[in-house]
Amino acid sequence: MSAAVQRSPDTMQLPGLCAGYVRRLEASAHTMRPLIIAGILCFLVLIGCTHARPTVPGAAPTEPERAASQTVPASASGSATPPSETALPAPTGPAAAEPDNGSKTTAQSAAAGSSSRPKPKPSTLKSPGNAPAAAVGSSAAAAAKPSAAPASDTSTRQSTPSSPALDLRALEQRLKETQAIGLFTKLSLKNQVDDLLNQFRAFHGNQGATTLAELRQRYDLLLLKVLSLLQDGDPALAAAISSSREALWGILADPVKFRQTVI
Amino acid sequence: MGRRIFVLVLTVIAVFGGARLLRAEEPSMARDLTATIALQGMPCDKVVDAKRNADSDYTVSCKDGNHYHVFVDSTGRVVVKKL
Repeated sequence: MSAAVQRSPDTMQLPGLCAGYVRRLEASAHTMRPLIIAGILCFLVLIGCTHARPTVPGAAPTEPERAASQTVPASASGSATPPSETALPAPTGPAAAEPDNGSKTTAQSAAAGSSSRPKPKPSTLKSPGNAPAAAVGSSAAAAAKPSAAPASDTSTRQSTPSSPALDLRALEQRLKETQAIGLFTKLSLKNQVDDLLNQFRAFHGNQGATTLAELRQRYDLLLLKVLSLLQDGDPALAAAISSSREALWGILADPVKFRQTVI
Repeated sequence: MGRRIFVLVLTVIAVFGGARLLRAEEPSMARDLTATIALQGMPCDKVVDAKRNADSDYTVSCKDGNHYHVFVDSTGRVVVKKL
């Protein structure tokens, strides 16, 4: 009550003090309205421009994708077992029963597939030791310790994403569709993939002197190039490729699977 | 008068917005060429100028002073030649 009493003299004094100013404001409101609208439009357009920038798919990954991209490299460097398990569709025999290592299973299946070529088999087993890439080193560590703590195996299995491993066709399709890399880069990558496939073809056809260890090095190098190209623009695809590394190697190194999928 | 200002502001927005969109395409091409050169194992820290000679044929200048001819040959291979 006392506040109303105190306010009423102010409101009574207001017309007397600012009447001219209020009148001028009312008069200028009509002329200012288009400017205000234009300013709002300007602001909206600017907001649109700032939001139009990250249009690259995967530039702003969702939480599961982000989590996958964070967990996958760790699991890929930690142990190569889960991707090869998920990707290799359990062919036959002991190679399928042994959930140990991608290169080891491929060596066994290669031995089953082609017994007339004894030379590459030891190189397969030696290949992780020679290769400088981290994954090869990790697979070497996994090969050196075949019975390395089943508890850690289960923990890495739990940390790996549930996305299925890519095969060669799916990888090709997703690389074609991604907008993270340009046309020239895609074509250049395709050239290099074709070159590598030709080298695998020659290897499986007993032509040329390339060993499986050298092919593994080239494969890892190419995969590193692809990952470095994709990791910023399309982290989901980079994670998928990273988790499919051993599965893809399993297809390439196994002559039977290679003939089935590539040739 | 107010309407004229309004139209003027809209025109300015349209012009600068279009220019911005045009400029947005340039870095993607430069990035593409940078990645292509890097994939071929050639040094190029950043593409500062790319002159289009024909379809899939560019002359590229890098920030470190290297110049390259990047093109797709008749067999479909991307070729990077140092100039």
